[in-house]
Amino acid sequence: MKATSLLYLDGVSVTFDGFKALNELSLTIAPGEMRAIIGPNGAGKTTMMDVITGKTKPDRGEIYFDGAIDLTGEDEASIAEIGIGRKFQKPTVFESHTVRDNLELALKAPRGPFATLFHVISGGETKRIDDLLGLIRLSDRKHELAANLSHGQKQWLEIGMLLAQDPKLLLVDEPAAGMTDAETAETAELLKDIAQDHSVVVVEHDMEFVRSLSVKVTVLHEGSVLAEGSLDHVSANERVVEVYLGR
Amino acid sequence: MSNLKSIFVLFCLVAGLVSPALAQSDTESLRSLVDALAKGKYAETEQQIGALVATGDPAVAPALQALGAGDLYFRKSDGQVFIAEKDGKRFTLTDPLTLEVEGDAGKREIKKIKVNNKLRRVIRSALGSLTLMAADPNVRVAAAEAIFKAQDPAGIDALETALAAETDDNVRLVMEQARAAAVLNSDLEEAQKLAAVETLSEMGNREALSLLIGVRSNSEGAVRDAANHAVEKIEKSIAAWNTAQNVWYGVSLGSVLLLAAIGLAITFGVMGVINMAHGEMVMIGAYTTFVVQEIIRTSAPGLFDYSLFIALPLAFLTAGLIGIAIERGVIRWLYGRPLETLLATWGISLILQQAVRSVFGPTNREVGNPDWMSGAFELGQMTITFNRMWIVVFALLVFAGLMLVLKKTPFGLYTRAVTQNRRMAASMGIRTPWIDALTFGLGSGIAGIAGVALSQIDNVSPNLGQGYIIDSFMVVVFGGVGNLWGTLVGAMTLGVVNKFLEPYAGAVLGKIFVLVFIILFIQKRPRGLFALKGRAVEA
Amino acid sequence: MMTSFLFRAMDARAGVFLAIMAAVVILVPVGNLLVPHGSPFHVPTYAVTLMGKYLTYALLALAVDLVWGYCGILSLGHAAFFALGGYAMGMYLMRQIGTRGVYGDPTLPDFMVFLNWQELPWYWYGFDMFWFAALMVLLVPGLIAFVFGWFAFRSRVTGVYLSIITQALTYALLLAFFRNDMGFGGNNGLTDFKDILGFDIQADTTRAGLFAASGLALVLSYMICRSITRSKLGKVLVAVRDAESRIRFLGYRVEHYKLFVWTLSAMMAGVAGALYVPQVGIINPGEFAPANSIEVVIWVAVGGRGTLVGAVLGAVLVNFAKTWFTAALPEIWLFALGGLFVFVTLFLPKGILGTLNDGWSTLRQRRNSSDQEDGTGGPRPQAKQSEDAPASTPPPVPAMSRAGASHPQPAE
Repeated sequence: MKATSLLYLDGVSVTFDGFKALNELSLTIAPGEMRAIIGPNGAGKTTMMDVITGKTKPDRGEIYFDGAIDLTGEDEASIAEIGIGRKFQKPTVFESHTVRDNLELALKAPRGPFATLFHVISGGETKRIDDLLGLIRLSDRKHELAANLSHGQKQWLEIGMLLAQDPKLLLVDEPAAGMTDAETAETAELLKDIAQDHSVVVVEHDMEFVRSLSVKVTVLHEGSVLAEGSLDHVSANERVVEVYLGR
Repeated sequence: MSNLKSIFVLFCLVAGLVSPALAQSDTESLRSLVDALAKGKYAETEQQIGALVATGDPAVAPALQALGAGDLYFRKSDGQVFIAEKDGKRFTLTDPLTLEVEGDAGKREIKKIKVNNKLRRVIRSALGSLTLMAADPNVRVAAAEAIFKAQDPAGIDALETALAAETDDNVRLVMEQARAAAVLNSDLEEAQKLAAVETLSEMGNREALSLLIGVRSNSEGAVRDAANHAVEKIEKSIAAWNTAQNVWYGVSLGSVLLLAAIGLAITFGVMGVINMAHGEMVMIGAYTTFVVQEIIRTSAPGLFDYSLFIALPLAFLTAGLIGIAIERGVIRWLYGRPLETLLATWGISLILQQAVRSVFGPTNREVGNPDWMSGAFELGQMTITFNRMWIVVFALLVFAGLMLVLKKTPFGLYTRAVTQNRRMAASMGIRTPWIDALTFGLGSGIAGIAGVALSQIDNVSPNLGQGYIIDSFMVVVFGGVGNLWGTLVGAMTLGVVNKFLEPYAGAVLGKIFVLVFIILFIQKRPRGLFALKGRAVEA
Repeated sequence: MMTSFLFRAMDARAGVFLAIMAAVVILVPVGNLLVPHGSPFHVPTYAVTLMGKYLTYALLALAVDLVWGYCGILSLGHAAFFALGGYAMGMYLMRQIGTRGVYGDPTLPDFMVFLNWQELPWYWYGFDMFWFAALMVLLVPGLIAFVFGWFAFRSRVTGVYLSIITQALTYALLLAFFRNDMGFGGNNGLTDFKDILGFDIQADTTRAGLFAASGLALVLSYMICRSITRSKLGKVLVAVRDAESRIRFLGYRVEHYKLFVWTLSAMMAGVAGALYVPQVGIINPGEFAPANSIEVVIWVAVGGRGTLVGAVLGAVLVNFAKTWFTAALPEIWLFALGGLFVFVTLFLPKGILGTLNDGWSTLRQRRNSSDQEDGTGGPRPQAKQSEDAPASTPPPVPAMSRAGASHPQPAE
């Protein structure tokens, strides 16, 4: 199981001042898989992302990437370099940079200070940035400051930055938050596109959105997995209905 | 000269117990007894000494002491006896009873009253019993202490006689210690000496220690072992007292830090505002004290002892109001931008310093200590000054008071609510801008009353506040932001650590070590000793 | 590679700055040395020294701006690096005195003879050679900054906490340098210098030379800073300033970037100090005073943080004002300086140049948008990226976040 998985969590626990944010959480993502994670507030969704990306150190438990890489000892930067990209719940882009510069910063390239100091942008990189701009539909605003984008556009820009990193695994936290219905539908399409050649974990509240992804769903509750399976399968689970979906 | 001085001291001690009228009538008969010393051989002198002692009048002590020291002369012309002190080529003559200078004389005009070793012993024991039996307990203690210092075996008999008659327990103790010291220097048997070592070992102070160290090197066998044991015991106890004294100094410094930092703990810790003008609030409190004392000096000098109590509320109000003005005028525009707040309040601190300098002048102003703040007392082997003690008490009271305000009053509740969730508090009807202003005013006001306390131990100058600002920030950051208990523990820890480093590294280097320690400590625990954990911090 | 690196620094704006600096560096010494006394164009020597001092301050401001304006590290301890560089130069100048000191000891500086020291402490070795001292001017501040930064950035000490411990750093150094035992002249510092590289330090030509050297150092540092801020590294720095944790999740090691600019900036401050000392003729522990470091920050804030020219402008303007005030109205100076702190933070958060930039961009934006009406529907952009630096929004806000706007707004 561990050897063939892309992401493998076993018995992960995190405690904040006595509050168990994660409680013996175990989860496996296969290579190429797209997974949706749902759960009520405080179920530990964001903490799970924090633990995977190295922002929070787990008190107990194992986290392995690509079957062999232990993530528990690594920090954010090395985990990002290993190949895990993350989009935050609240869109975070570099507001005083242009859209294009945001993508340039995210683009897969050597990350050291001296490498960036003497970096000269290549034709290949320019083309890749232009492609991404097309994909996230911001080509005509590429010279504008990211601060001036609308909320939905910032979400897209951040997804574009994720893609520019070219990670093996994308962790996407509430990509549809604050979007119009049309934008939400487009986002779902975009994610499905991405999932064709990346593994994706999506955390989302919007049930319509999750349904439109039509992938395996994991329900978190009080820091551990409550149910797993297709959306229809978990929706039928009584406990899930009780704690999350409501009667 | 030193002889004369000690005689004079002795005289002062005994003078108190001789009533003037009695002294007048007695002086005549005493004088004839003293003058008699000029006549006769050693055997007769011994009798004459006996006669002097028999009067039981301490006034004869100076004469006897001078006799023993070879300073007693008689004038050849009239046979009158004087204490003579060589002054250049001539001798200054002092009356042995009144101790008044009676003129001078050439070497040929006077003659020394001779004594031999036997007489000297007689005189010493006579002197001892004379003063050891005096009516004033202070004189008796002084006499016993003199024997202790001299370790004079000749005093043993007198001490034993005195002990038999002594009723005051304190004096008895000193006499027994003196006797022990004398015994150790005598040829008495071992058992006696062992008991004496025991007595000294119980005494436990530095004098006993140095005496016992002498005994250890000069004796053999059981006495030597006992002395060695006692030395070790005393050294241990003195080390313990030294530690206690250092802890006290540390606590005292810690209280000063606490006073300076506690207001900052509110504005920085609770409100998240970096107030670089905090030190100037302390300074304003100190100047308020100065102004209050000036007014009292000119218009109501009787109130001087209460000046600090009058200054406290005034300092709180002055600093508090200035604080509120700063918050309303500047800081409220800068919430959420801590670095800008830091710069703006630094600017305010420059303005306040210059304002005070313009009004009160650039030099130190004199702030007096009321009587109850001056002096010191001894606790075991350590000395505690009253001003330090009251500042420790005051700092703890301010801390407790502040805790009470924050935990038990509606204002405290609102403050905590605003701190934890501003929007929620606002939507529940709390006027958050007012709470901000009042909290800032509270923090500044407390800095003001800290200034009243610090005016008692520090120079009151326009730069007073600058000396405290970095230390205060260190305390708050070290203790953990947003936690008043952390500030208390932080202040005390830094105070004690500083004082313990001082003997080894010196004051300046000690302070540097503490700064470096804090810089390193923040690396380890970026949010201080008592950090809040969990989601609230991340927000 | 290097040429392309420096070439990047050049554009119209840099050109204007360089032209002005070139004029200053040439005209001031010429006005002092070649124009005869009595001519209205003659520049008196004291003015040359004063302006030379301003230039070293400008260099210090540039160093602070690099870390604060571009990377969000508010250093309240940069005067420490300035002073360390100054002491390194001062040690060289002390050893140049040789037997001309009061005690005439060939190796020991006067204060050591005075303290009855028998031999030179080991850390004074080598300072009789200029190249060694010059190396130390860079290495000592650089090394101390590196060690300090390595600890601080690795453990992610940020924001006001970092500012406070930089204060602690300079305060600790202040106390240390006051000690006679340290071997740096204690309270009195190092002074009574005679000559530098064989030239009489009091001579007009030397003064003019030092002025020109300060100007060149400023120009060179400006070019380096500008190349950095315009490189991809510069973009990473601004990203660190605006969203530190986000850039981490992109795989950048924030601590390495901070350490790089921090150390570089400390070295620049050291050079500034080294040029300052021969011009004012003394270095003492007072230079470490925490207040000095804070004052540098206000120079940068006045000129406009995040704009390199702004830092230079701010340093020169504020110090010119200081010279004028302390001569004409000494009582008023601290009021004015204090007022400046309050005024700039409240009403001019972007500084003079930042505000001018904004105005210029808005103007151009308006012209652009009237040329072409686009229909993207998003909010109309308010400001385009300025040429010099990305518009500085306030740094990310901790717990008490309320007003994110860059203009003052009342609390509720």
